This record gives sequence, C-alpha cells and structure tokens, in this order.
Amino acid sequence: MDIVLRGIVIFFFLYVIMRVIGRRELSTLEPFDLILLVILGDAVQQGLTQDDYSLTGAFLAIGTIAVLQVAVSYMNFHFPRLRPILDGEPIIVVQDGKPIEKNLKRERITLEDLAAAARRQNIAQLEDVRWAVLETSGTVSFIKKSDA
Amino acid sequence: MADVPDFLDLDRHRDLRGFGFARRPRQLILLLIVAVLVLGLFNVFGQRPQHIYVNAPQAQLELYAPSHLRGGLLYEARFTITARKDIGNAVLVFSPGWNEGQQMNTLEPAPLGQGSRNGDMILTFGHIPSGHKYRFFVQFQVNPTNVGRRRADVALYDGGAKLATIHRTLTFYP
Repeated sequence: MDIVLRGIVIFFFLYVIMRVIGRRELSTLEPFDLILLVILGDAVQQGLTQDDYSLTGAFLAIGTIAVLQVAVSYMNFHFPRLRPILDGEPIIVVQDGKPIEKNLKRERITLEDLAAAARRQNIAQLEDVRWAVLETSGTVSFIKKSDA
Repeated sequence: MADVPDFLDLDRHRDLRGFGFARRPRQLILLLIVAVLVLGLFNVFGQRPQHIYVNAPQAQLELYAPSHLRGGLLYEARFTITARKDIGNAVLVFSPGWNEGQQMNTLEPAPLGQGSRNGDMILTFGHIPSGHKYRFFVQFQVNPTNVGRRRADVALYDGGAKLATIHRTLTFYP
C-alpha cells in the first residue's frame, strides 16, 4: 500500500512541478538538463521504492504511475475545460515577423533562444516567420510567411 | 485573420486572455514549494541533532540526537552521563518509541546488560564514579514505513532510583 501511495504523491508532485516550472525548461535538453534528468530520476526512485528491491514493489510503482498517466490522458480528452490546467495552452510568440515580447517574457524565452529555434527549422530571419507558436510540449512551431 | 493557425485564437493565445493564463496560481505554487524548502533549511524535516540536558543533584544526562527524521535515514544518538556523585549502577530506560519502526544498528560501548521493564527497554552500564563522564552512542536507521510521532523518553536510574528524565517526541516524515 505504501508504494502505491508514494507513487500517487510523487506523480502529482511531478505533474505540478512540470506545469509550474514552465515550458522553457521542458523544451531544452542541454547536457546539464540531461544530468538533472538523471538526478531527478534517482531522487524519485529513492522516494518511491526506498529499500524495496522486490519485483512486486516494481510492479506496484510502475503500475501506479501508468494508471495515473492514463487517468490524466482520459480527463484531458473527455473534459476540455481541464486541458488548460492539465496540459497548458499554446502561446503565439511571433506574428508577422515581430516577436511578441510580453509572451516571450512570460515564458522566459530570449530572442536568442527564439532565433536558435528558428535556425533549427532552417529559418534564418525571424522576419520570414508568419507565426511562431510555443506549443504545450515546450517546442516552438514556425509557420513561414511563404507557407501561410 | 483567416490565416491564424487552426485551433488558435488571437484573443486567447496571443493576448493571453482567459482561463489558464493566470500567473497567480503558478506563482503561488512556486511560493509554496520555496516555503517548504525554507522550512527544510530550518531543520523542520530533520535531521540536525540538538542537545538536550537534564540536571539532577546526582548526575547530568545529556542527549545529542535529532528529533525530526525521515524514512530510511541513518542517524546517531549520543548519551552522556556526568556523575556528580557516585552512581552505583547506571541504567538508561528507553520508552518504546526509540525502537518502534527503527533499527538499532550498533551500541557503543556495549552495555553490561539489556532487558525490559514495564515495556521499556533498559540498558545497564554499571558503576560511574563521581566526577566521571560516561558516553554512549547508538546508531539508528528509520524504517521507511515509519511515519508519525512517537514518544521517545529516556530516563537515567541508579539501580531502581530515578535520577533524571528527558522527555521528547520523535517526528518521522515519509
């Protein structure tokens, strides 16, 4: 029972943390972020199963998290009003080649970050962008003026 | 604005008006997390040890141990008995909270005897001459399933006569 309870608490704590820290942190996966990911995984494991090395314990921990993940997806699909809370919403960050400073600031994205994201999609100038949208996953989608 | 991407609304997704874009709940949750971290820095969740002294005419009993603990932690409790007068047979009596949900790994130096008295654990140390100190260490580990608060008193006896008692509560966080 203890592992199931721990699984529930950790799942919701991680969910809230991921929603609160913002998309900027979710989208980047620099070497430092990878190290943080490993540390986070280790810390979660310690709190979740502690000194339990049993197969039963692993089944309970994984099963709890899997069921909660399905439950959240179910709620997300069936209750549209919950989507902004559970998943967030996309945010327009460039319109007609002009960055929207207020939205960039809100998500702590610098113009350099935005330009780098554009370059990764073979866009050299932000002025060529019709729309840039910060998706709920933390990635930026670009729609070029020529495509619009 | 016919070319706005599907499912995007300028009022909502550009001007950020409406449900879901409020910054206050996000800031409040962050503040709450920071508050918990600050509490952690101030030893609310353990395991920084504290000194507790109890003075009696015949002896002083000192305990140096944490009182706030978390599941799985290893920690040490140090007991110091300072004899002001001769103690013929020093005995420490531990309430059950010391043992319940915890593992007592080592006791150094080993007591002369161990036993039980009315459900309490007793450890016997023998004679401590006047003016001498007797230091005794116990290494514990908290069982991960041990959560809550427990009485963990310890009393110093000279044979059957109580000399001093330390009253304390152990708090175990999950």
